[in-house]
Formats: sequence, C-alpha cells, structure tokens
Amino acid sequence: MAKKPLHFAKAFEELEAITEWFERGDADLEEGLKKFERGLELASACREKLTEVETKVKEIRLKYTVTPA
Amino acid sequence: MPDPAVLSVGQYLELVNDRLREAAAFEFSIEGEVSDFRVAQGKWVSFDLKDELAQAVLKCFMTAWQLPHKVEDGMRVRVTGAPKVYERFGTLKLNVQSLELVGEGALRRAYEALKKKLVDEGLFDPSRKRQLPRFPERIGLITSRDAAAYGDFLRIVNNRWGGAEVMHVSVHVQGKEAVHEIIEAFQYFNALAPEDRPDALVLIRGGGGLEDLHAFNDEAVARAVYGSAVPVVCGVGHERDESLCDFVADVRASTPSNAAERVVPSREDVGYEIAMTERLFEDRMREMIDRMRRPIERLSASAELLVQGKALRFSQVTGSFEASFSRFLPRVSERLLASERVLRSVSPERVLERGYAIVRSGKGIVRDTGALDIGSDISVQLAEGSFEAEVQRVEGKGKTKLF
Repeated sequence: MAKKPLHFAKAFEELEAITEWFERGDADLEEGLKKFERGLELASACREKLTEVETKVKEIRLKYTVTPA
Repeated sequence: MPDPAVLSVGQYLELVNDRLREAAAFEFSIEGEVSDFRVAQGKWVSFDLKDELAQAVLKCFMTAWQLPHKVEDGMRVRVTGAPKVYERFGTLKLNVQSLELVGEGALRRAYEALKKKLVDEGLFDPSRKRQLPRFPERIGLITSRDAAAYGDFLRIVNNRWGGAEVMHVSVHVQGKEAVHEIIEAFQYFNALAPEDRPDALVLIRGGGGLEDLHAFNDEAVARAVYGSAVPVVCGVGHERDESLCDFVADVRASTPSNAAERVVPSREDVGYEIAMTERLFEDRMREMIDRMRRPIERLSASAELLVQGKALRFSQVTGSFEASFSRFLPRVSERLLASERVLRSVSPERVLERGYAIVRSGKGIVRDTGALDIGSDISVQLAEGSFEAEVQRVEGKGKTKLF
C-alpha cells in the first residue's frame, strides 16, 4: 500500500517532540529558530491535512468457507 | 405361519438401529429440559433430556465442539439428532447433531455461565487492554453492509476525521453464518503483513436481544477478539446492550457511533491543539529572543545615552553659532552700504556732474599748467560728452587774449 506524502501520526509526533524541546527551556537561539521553523511547517502541513481529505472505504470480499453445522 | 427368523441380540439391535435411522433422523426437533449434564475428558457430552409433563427421559450424547453454548442443568433446549440403541448397555440414546437454547432465561444463564468462564480465564483483564493509536491511518471494519451501524460509523468517522482508509469486510452479524464469518474476518486482518494491517479493528452491529447478539456472545468470536494482534473496538447496539465481545475488546464502545468517536479524533480538537502548539512555539521563541535581547538592549541603551549627550552639545554649539551669525550679518551689510555711499560720492562722474571737467593732454590728465604747451591740443571731458581744444595762452603768455 502506498504511503501518503504526509504521515500525519509521524508529523504530529515530531510536533510534540518539538513542543517538549521548547518546554525543557534549556534553549539556544540558533537551534530554537530551526525548531521553530520546522514546528510551524509541520503545524501548517498537519492543518492542511486535516481539511484536505475524505475517508476512503475499501471493500474486502472474503470467500467464506462454510463450516459444516 | 413360518417360524420367525432367529437373530442374535447384536443382529437384532443392528436391525432396530437401521430402522431408527430411517424413521427419525433429522425430521424432528425435540424440546426438553437438561439434567445430569456431564462432560467426560473435555470431549464427550452426555445429558438427559426430560419432559416434565410426561415424565419421559431421553438420554443424549454429543461432542463438546458441537455445543454452541454453555449448557447447564435445568435449561430448556431443542435438539435434533439420530436415535441409537447402544448394544453394550441396551439403552436408547440420541446422538445430538444440533442443540439450541430455548427462551430468554436459558440464553441468559448460558451467557452468564460463559461470561464467568471467560472472566476466570482472564479474557476481560483490564491490564491487557491495548491503547488505540491516536491517528489511525487504516481501520478494519467488521460489520454488515446493510446494517444502520455501518452507515453511522462511516458518517461519524468522516465528520470527525479525514484521510483514514476503512477496510470493510461485510459479514452477517446474526444468523448461522455470523460466527464463522466474523472469525474469518479477524483471521484475514491478522494474517496481513504488519505494514498492511489496520491500526484498529472495529466490530459493530445494531442492538438486539440476547438471541440476536448470539454471534457477539459466541465463545469462539470472543476468543478471536482476544487473540487479535490488532487492537479491537467493539460497539453493539444501544447503550444498555452488552456482549462478551464488548468485554474482551480493547475498547468497549457503547454504540457503533461511539465506536467511531473512539477510533478517530475530531478535526476540531486536533486543529485546536495544533493552533495551541503554534502559539506555544511563538511564545517560547519570543521568550528566547527576549532573553538574548536584554543584554543587547542594555548596551544599546547606554550607547544611545552617550550619543544623546554629544548631540545635545552639538546643537548647543550650532545654535549659538547661528544666533551670533544672525547678529553679525546686518552689521556687515550696514558697513557695506556706508562704504558704497562713500565710494559713490568720490567717483569722478559725480564730480563732473557738479560742473568740473577733466583735461587730458598727450601726457595724460593735466593737473598743472606747467605741463601745457601753447598751441598743443588738449581734450576736455565733461559730465555729458567731451571736446577737443587748442591751448592759446598759459598764465597770461601766448596768443592774444580772445575774451
């Protein structure tokens, strides 16, 4: 099965990791700017994903082997 | 009349059994109450089927795997099967082919008995409940396409969330096929390669009586839920309905709609969370920058103070310069005008205007009569114009005086 361009769960996980990094507070500005930029990028990608898509239904047909009663 | 044929006991019973098979097999269901229910070696089930009114007893025999429910003494059941006389004991027994419980009371008791058994085995143990992934990409849905539950589930999943893939296996949720179809659906999903497996399985159906819910109360189905490698959400009917699958599932949803709510998050909630996260990033970033900026600001503030001091002094100096310059300028122009006046009053033109004349000889301006020769030419300049003349007399000497 093809992977989607944005793996929402992974993106959200990364977002949470960045949040945690910021919450730790022992920050240097250079690193902070990088994370900040990455965080906003992820956030907007996630937000876009939220509004973008419909849930798809895929029917799976099983050939039931009828067990003797 | 010929003598009747003589048969051995064994031969006779064989004959009887042949006739019994022809006469009775599968044509009747026999209803009665179970007593003296026994299971030998976990396989062989025997019980008596009693008829309270006629005080009749039918001995029954079957294998444990044919038992669809947990059966106990006192339950009313309906059986089908083949009667047989067992040679060794000379007793008639019914080889049971199918057994079903009769009446809500019997089903209820069977349900409670199986529930207790599964509780004792630890199938409902809360410690083994797995957490569902927060953002499932793929959801395995096991239900009937025709059930209202199917539409409800998809509608709510779609309203709450987007982009998930629902892999739907349509099964009967009641009736004969339900149990093995549901079990096979579980087998199908669990047999997929781990990367193709759904993140959660959802088993749902509408509500109903104990009889309708039999598949969801089936021991084999409960064990399929228990054995699933993928976490299972179970949602049956209305809030008041319960099934054994509910208790075994990792998440027990109260209804099919609730199952949808449990399996996917809501867009609004997640959107809000993302917005909060963004704001937090901005706040932290600003704090970080502020922390860095404070020493810089202190520095630049003192630098500014220094510059301000210089600027003040500069403006003071230029101010006084301008003031003195503005006082100085009219004085200069006054003196300029005075000089001009003086200069203008001494200019030769002004003298000539008063009636004086300038006399020039070949040697230049004549200031002394000694420089004049009688008979020489001179030029005389007046205020307006000039003329030539001849010197005739100088200091009384020379040509005759004309006038």
